[in-house]
Amino acid sequence: MNSIRSASEIDDEAAEWAARVDARGLDVERDPELQAWLDGDARRAGALLRAQAAISFLDRGRALAGVAPLVTADALKRPSRRALVAGAGGAMAAALVGGLGLWITRPQRLGTRLGEIRRVPLADGSLVAINTKTALDVAMKPRSRQITLREGEAWFQVAKDPDRPFVVAAGTVRVRAVGTAFSVRRADEDGASVDVMVTEGVVETWIEGDPASRRRLSAGSRVVLASAVSPQVAESPSEIERSLAWRNGEIALDGESLEQAARLFNRYNSRQILIDDPTLARERFVGLFQTNEPESFAAAVAATLGAVVSDDGRTIRIGRAHIS
Amino acid sequence: MKQSRAEIVAFVGGQILPHEADVRAWLRRSGSAAADIDDVIQETYCRLAALESIAHIGNGRGYFFRTARNIAIEKIRRARIVRIDCVTEIDALNVVDDEPSPERVVAGRRELGRVRRLIEELPERCRQIFTLRRIHGLSQRETAMRLGVTENVVEMQSARGLRLILRALSESEARDHSAIGEAHELHPVRKRD
Repeated sequence: MNSIRSASEIDDEAAEWAARVDARGLDVERDPELQAWLDGDARRAGALLRAQAAISFLDRGRALAGVAPLVTADALKRPSRRALVAGAGGAMAAALVGGLGLWITRPQRLGTRLGEIRRVPLADGSLVAINTKTALDVAMKPRSRQITLREGEAWFQVAKDPDRPFVVAAGTVRVRAVGTAFSVRRADEDGASVDVMVTEGVVETWIEGDPASRRRLSAGSRVVLASAVSPQVAESPSEIERSLAWRNGEIALDGESLEQAARLFNRYNSRQILIDDPTLARERFVGLFQTNEPESFAAAVAATLGAVVSDDGRTIRIGRAHIS
Repeated sequence: MKQSRAEIVAFVGGQILPHEADVRAWLRRSGSAAADIDDVIQETYCRLAALESIAHIGNGRGYFFRTARNIAIEKIRRARIVRIDCVTEIDALNVVDDEPSPERVVAGRRELGRVRRLIEELPERCRQIFTLRRIHGLSQRETAMRLGVTENVVEMQSARGLRLILRALSESEARDHSAIGEAHELHPVRKRD
């Protein structure tokens, strides 16, 4: 009984420390008072880690569930959301008190780190879901809503407002909507090709400086616009739904080659998947995975295709079993 | 290579803590006493806290189960009276730690509901503060200004809320069992926007 009580006492103290670390940005490894507490009992380090993990867990729930931060300033340049909020300081608090009115004039930078997926409501009532490693600027003006996708991928659910067209710029590509939902992705390889998928309503796409390139796309269509090649429109609603599984933190594979699948996972994780064998890389695969669990994918491949997986912490190698 | 504390905390928050209720339930099924389970869980976090890097852990859930199992076995072996049946029961329990995703996708979704519930069930003041801090991402200072209280109050309430949440995370057995039952219904209904 004694051990239960002291275990829960340790948990309570750990919660206090975790809240303090979180509030004041203490450095766990350097704060002398905290170190003294940790040194007092070997179990405290574990309890503190658990308490801090609980905070991180709650934040993770927010990121995945799509509840948005009220914070909408330069999120990319700064290392953490907390630092960002601290930096925005008093002006932000004032803006919060006065409602969201002040936000619409200044362009906001929204971004995600590797593996991060966020949903952010915009000041006009639209919603943007931002995929891994993405940067975009949002400028809400009286007569227009301008989004600049600098890199990565985002899906927009646009609030209807006929007087203020909603235009996404990705390089020279423009996508304009009135009230609709669509995604825009800049390919990581060359940055020049832009993949547009429409999930609701109609959008208009064009290439800046090329009036002949204007075309209308309706729900269920997808087009890849690249400066050199003439674009091809494909009708594939279910394909689009599947490609946008990332909005739920998922990767849905339906006959992709292992090579393509590996590339998908590698967009979200610093631990990269490498397919060691060219014939294996061409094998097709089906399954539903979480973006942040490349190892589950590797294990599933190993189980179904008889591949061998080795994981050194940085690279997950999937290869053929060698017959010697 | 040593990893930053923030990375390790994020890993534990995302890959370990969400499975705590399952590990506890599993230890309970293996016949461990409640006090022992608390100790095993705490020891598991201690071992994690001692790691310089978590990069070698491929699968958090599997790691959690394996570590807890090893600690439980060590504990039983250290105990003065060794109950042989206990060891064999734990040994016999198969940990399916490499099972691929569908189940865990459901688990992930279940966790979101759990985060919401955890916050909703806090006392009013705590709940307000958690909502502003965690859901809207305000700093302590802005939360204090918004609610017209001092930063100290926010910090105290944050610690109090966290205490309650930590307790709820380890006491959520009954709920988790019912949630596992629901999981089967949840799966085919893929929530889309």
